[in-house]
Amino acid sequence: MSGSQGPPPDRSERLMLEIQDLHKYFGDLHVLRGINLSVKVGEVVCVIGPSGSGKSTLLRCINHLEVAQRGCIRIDGQIAYRDGNDEKSRAHSNRRIAAVRAEVGMVFQHFNLFPHLTVIGNIVEAPVHVLRRSPEAARRRAMELLGQVGLADKASAYPEELSGGQQQRAAIARALAMDPKAMLFDEATSALDPELIHEVLSVMRDLAERGMTMLVVTHEMNFARQVAARVIFMDEGRIVEEGTPQQIFGAPSERRTQEFLRNVLGH
Amino acid sequence: MELFNPAIALANLGPLLAGLLLTIELTFVVIVLSLVFALLVALGGMSRIRPLQWLVKAYIEAIRGTPLLLQLVYIYYVLPEVGIRLNSFTAGVVALTLNYSAYISEVYRGGIQAISRGQHDAAAALGMTGALAMRRIILPQAIRLVIPSLGNYFISLFKDTALCSVVSIQEVLFTAQILAAQNFQYFTLYTVVGAMYFAVSFPAARLVGYLERVTRAGYARRRR
Repeated sequence: MSGSQGPPPDRSERLMLEIQDLHKYFGDLHVLRGINLSVKVGEVVCVIGPSGSGKSTLLRCINHLEVAQRGCIRIDGQIAYRDGNDEKSRAHSNRRIAAVRAEVGMVFQHFNLFPHLTVIGNIVEAPVHVLRRSPEAARRRAMELLGQVGLADKASAYPEELSGGQQQRAAIARALAMDPKAMLFDEATSALDPELIHEVLSVMRDLAERGMTMLVVTHEMNFARQVAARVIFMDEGRIVEEGTPQQIFGAPSERRTQEFLRNVLGH
Repeated sequence: MELFNPAIALANLGPLLAGLLLTIELTFVVIVLSLVFALLVALGGMSRIRPLQWLVKAYIEAIRGTPLLLQLVYIYYVLPEVGIRLNSFTAGVVALTLNYSAYISEVYRGGIQAISRGQHDAAAALGMTGALAMRRIILPQAIRLVIPSLGNYFISLFKDTALCSVVSIQEVLFTAQILAAQNFQYFTLYTVVGAMYFAVSFPAARLVGYLERVTRAGYARRRR
């Protein structure tokens, strides 16, 4: 593949994502209660935890699909969000927000492909209209990416003609077409039939091996165990525990982590 | 004396067909204008600019709360008193466009709001601005959803153009009224006019029914 999917897995300590004391409320509900998290360039971090623990909200705050109320988010050293934005700085920050979003790819639980566009139409849409790439260059890159996710023969199919697994792989290709610096996966396999999960996970695994920086909210404990450099356990809006997969799955130190894992792993 | 006189019908067919042509012309002009204007109204109503929202709301309520016939005569007879003088065809076009745009803007709004949050999220996550997402992602899907409703509105518009006879546009009904005033052949003339409206409306309604089936089928089905 071309080298444009972020730098190779250099083990420099450079941070791709840095979150400090992030708070988010939905009305009176305090869903993120001071999240501190950093992800190094090329690192794969998996976030696990019960539903309602704030995992998805955390992901959505990173690319401004939700707006946090307090804290700071840096992406590749640039401030992507900081509290205390007065109205004036917010007015011109719409452009900044779009720029942040263009740098961070996101994959959704329900794929959210554009149903009125073919697979390749979905993929070239943003590169052509947001990055202003030429349609030919965008198509060439799209075909490359479709090859990478194993859908080269589905370029001219409509989303409704694809299985859930194929749709999600197309959605991953669509996010990659923006040449993002990092990828966010929001329960990317939760809406899939069990037999289709592995094809999406293997695309994600392949992406991790290529050195993509990834923050993955998932219920797939085996994926977290095998692919993640670090695993984060969240509960009730806080990071309860983080560590290597060996630590988290082998010897969790917090009681709530132990309970959660006992429940999901069934032992 | 027989009620329907074929000879009279035939003799007056020329002017009646000319009237029908004007009816169709009026309908098409209003369709084109209101497709565009109603979209602007819908987008204005959904914008974050409060005064624009209020303006749109006031306009829609004013139109929906008064008869089309009154709106027509108001534009033709009352506006000249404040110096706005429109010829009868223009007055008819303006009145019908304002009236239908109010209803159609609500159709558009429903279509736009029916597009799922996930589509907005996906577009935003790809760095699209709200305007770009609206133009490239939301509207193309919303318009497809509302095509059958639009079709029904336009069929009803076609029949409502008959009201323009009160501002003396020589569409088909007014033409028949003029002819009948001369030869008193009400039965024949109005029967021919009714047949003419039906001959256009009925196939148009069938077409809308077909569009309804086509748009309900998926995006992929359409090209097969």
